[in-house]
Amino acid sequence: MAVIALGMLSFELPSEINSDVLAQKTAGDELLGVWEPSNGRARVKIDRIGTKYYGRIVWLLEPNDPETGEPKTDINNPDAALQDVPLKGYRMLKDFVFQEDGTWTEGTIYDPLSGSTYNCVIKMTDENTLDIRGYIGVQALGRTDVWKRLAMPKR
Amino acid sequence: MQHLRPQTWLTFVILSLAFIGCSGPETVHEYKVENLEIVLAGPLFEGPNAGQFELTLDIPGALGDAYAPGMKVADARLQRAEVAAGDSLGFAQVRSFVLSFASDNEAVAMEEAAFVNPLPDGLDRVALNVAPEAELGPHVAEEKLYVVLDVDLSEDFWDGDRLFLLNFDLSLTLQSKR
Repeated sequence: MAVIALGMLSFELPSEINSDVLAQKTAGDELLGVWEPSNGRARVKIDRIGTKYYGRIVWLLEPNDPETGEPKTDINNPDAALQDVPLKGYRMLKDFVFQEDGTWTEGTIYDPLSGSTYNCVIKMTDENTLDIRGYIGVQALGRTDVWKRLAMPKR
Repeated sequence: MQHLRPQTWLTFVILSLAFIGCSGPETVHEYKVENLEIVLAGPLFEGPNAGQFELTLDIPGALGDAYAPGMKVADARLQRAEVAAGDSLGFAQVRSFVLSFASDNEAVAMEEAAFVNPLPDGLDRVALNVAPEAELGPHVAEEKLYVVLDVDLSEDFWDGDRLFLLNFDLSLTLQSKR
């Protein structure tokens, strides 16, 4: 290999881009909020980044590793370089796209207990209830969990 | 709350290495992003909070004369990432940072690319641990991507926003037409 060029350029960024992105409401935003899976062991906050939806673990029933007493990390992540990432805050729902039929598809759900990622589709059965169906390959072979919406704390 | 508001600049340092790949000549370039302002809009709650920045990459503009029409992004990896305090609160109540990249493209999944956990005490600038396997080529190829910084706070923060400044370097492999 040989170095063939060296240069430097600078551009100023318009600072209003960030706030505009956050302010725009889109169809599908009824998914935003904090949700609890049926086992009650975690709470997941769903946000929108750009046009897609993501869910972060914001609360764990057992936040600390019982052996070390330290906050749990993503020890089963298949990428060893990311196994010290805190589990609280981890995005277990990723890249969901709202569809005209009222579902959120094209996303994945991550199981921190196994380190496995599954295809996933989300259906809102009422404004406070989600059917979260994880599957491999075809939806018919998947498993559905029911998540309930939690009220957000207000000042 | 008084924020330090340095001008936000993107700086592209182009260090190009050339080699011939199977599908056409490839060059490796370093793409440097500096002082990206990541705002966490308050009120903020104990636990993870996210800030995001919609970043538009101008690879042809950054490459200048080194750019050839038809060049495609063959690979992109994060080489370095650093977070600095952007306001007078510094890193107060911050337990960890996680840096991810996302795209509007349905075919491009979010990637975690760097983190620090736990955050050492007494710092106002910290280097993140980079995940070298995180493949960011599809994100960079989209031109517009989302830079997401997750900040884990140890307590609620009701008054105003928090500001952090992000610096990172990407190694881009660009492939030219034969």
